Amino acid sequence: MDIFTIGIWIGTLIFLGVSFAKNKGKTNQALKMAFNMGKGMAISIFSIIFAIGLILTLLPPADIASFVEKQSTAIATIASALLGTITLIPAFIAFPLVGTLVDAGVGIVPSVAFLTTLTMVGVVTFPLEKKEFGVKFTAVRNGLSFLFAIIIAYVMGVII
Amino acid sequence: MVLKKIKDNLFFFIIILAYAIMTTINPSMGIESVKNSGYYIKEMLMIMPVIFVLTALLDMWVSKEKIMKFLGKDAKAKGVFLAFVIGSISAGPIYAAFPMCVMLHKKGASIRNIIIILSSWAVIKVPMLLNEAKFLGPKFMVIRWILTVVAIIIFSWIADKIIKDKDLPSEETSQVGLIINKGACMGCTLCTKNYPELFEIKSKKAVIKAHDATTIDKEKLQTTINACPVKAIEYIED
Repeated sequence: MDIFTIGIWIGTLIFLGVSFAKNKGKTNQALKMAFNMGKGMAISIFSIIFAIGLILTLLPPADIASFVEKQSTAIATIASALLGTITLIPAFIAFPLVGTLVDAGVGIVPSVAFLTTLTMVGVVTFPLEKKEFGVKFTAVRNGLSFLFAIIIAYVMGVII
Repeated sequence: MVLKKIKDNLFFFIIILAYAIMTTINPSMGIESVKNSGYYIKEMLMIMPVIFVLTALLDMWVSKEKIMKFLGKDAKAKGVFLAFVIGSISAGPIYAAFPMCVMLHKKGASIRNIIIILSSWAVIKVPMLLNEAKFLGPKFMVIRWILTVVAIIIFSWIADKIIKDKDLPSEETSQVGLIINKGACMGCTLCTKNYPELFEIKSKKAVIKAHDATTIDKEKLQTTINACPVKAIEYIED
């Protein structure tokens, strides 16, 4: 295991220990909630992961990288951002996926744009959001998030 | 029964079908796909349990009731800060945040703070920061985190200028009694544990058991309502 994973495990175990010492019942509730949350999301998480595995076989990251390289940054960035809007995926799958792409040589700017829209903008979740907040709110929130995803990506490209 | 299962997990069955077709046509590609997936599953299993436990613990120990009072239109910087806190510590997927934010808006939270909660819920979960540092480097994580917070502050301000309170759908149903918001419930079973006589879990969602309204223990119910991590339970007395 790497240092970050060990760090988060140690931190959580300490937190869990303190929590147990302070309130056993509350801690048991939290553990139960964590377990059921995981159980509830398990199928969709495994589906997403197996879909990613399939896509990366058909389109190896190296091929994606060389394809992206041939495009201008602007086109590559907007295209990656659009690809990321299809659905919202949990961040803990998004990070390793984007890590794979960056390691294969996909530029920072398109990768960050993809990462941000992947977690913040969702076409699939649009109807759900519209039902709760109305069309205007949903359109404005997703639109602005998309726009700022591209701005964040460009600024990151300048800094890194 | 089987059909319903397939319908509920349609995406999962499409993926299985895709694997079956691919392995038939080209077995080596099928094996390759499973290997690719294996890498992500391994990474996920190392980090996911601990992330769920950490988010659940944060959710349990940081009292949302206290924070909610400060999200109104008058609370400027403090409201913005607390909206970030709520979004970054809350448990559950983003669609669980929708109903909770609607509830906050009804209780007087500003549009700006709702947008901040939704956005930070999606991208700046505290337990996720270490995960991001692992895969993309600490420098990447810190810079992206700062830029994202700045971006959220700016675009929530813009959105607040465009969207008016009346643009949000108002509650048309004046239903009384006990209601569970199905869209929000993530089947964590806390309600069934707190008040087993009134709640049960059916196909991964909480439902209300048949009950006599006069025998509801108000105190017990209030504890249950407060315990729900996504605030999906509502009780309107008649």
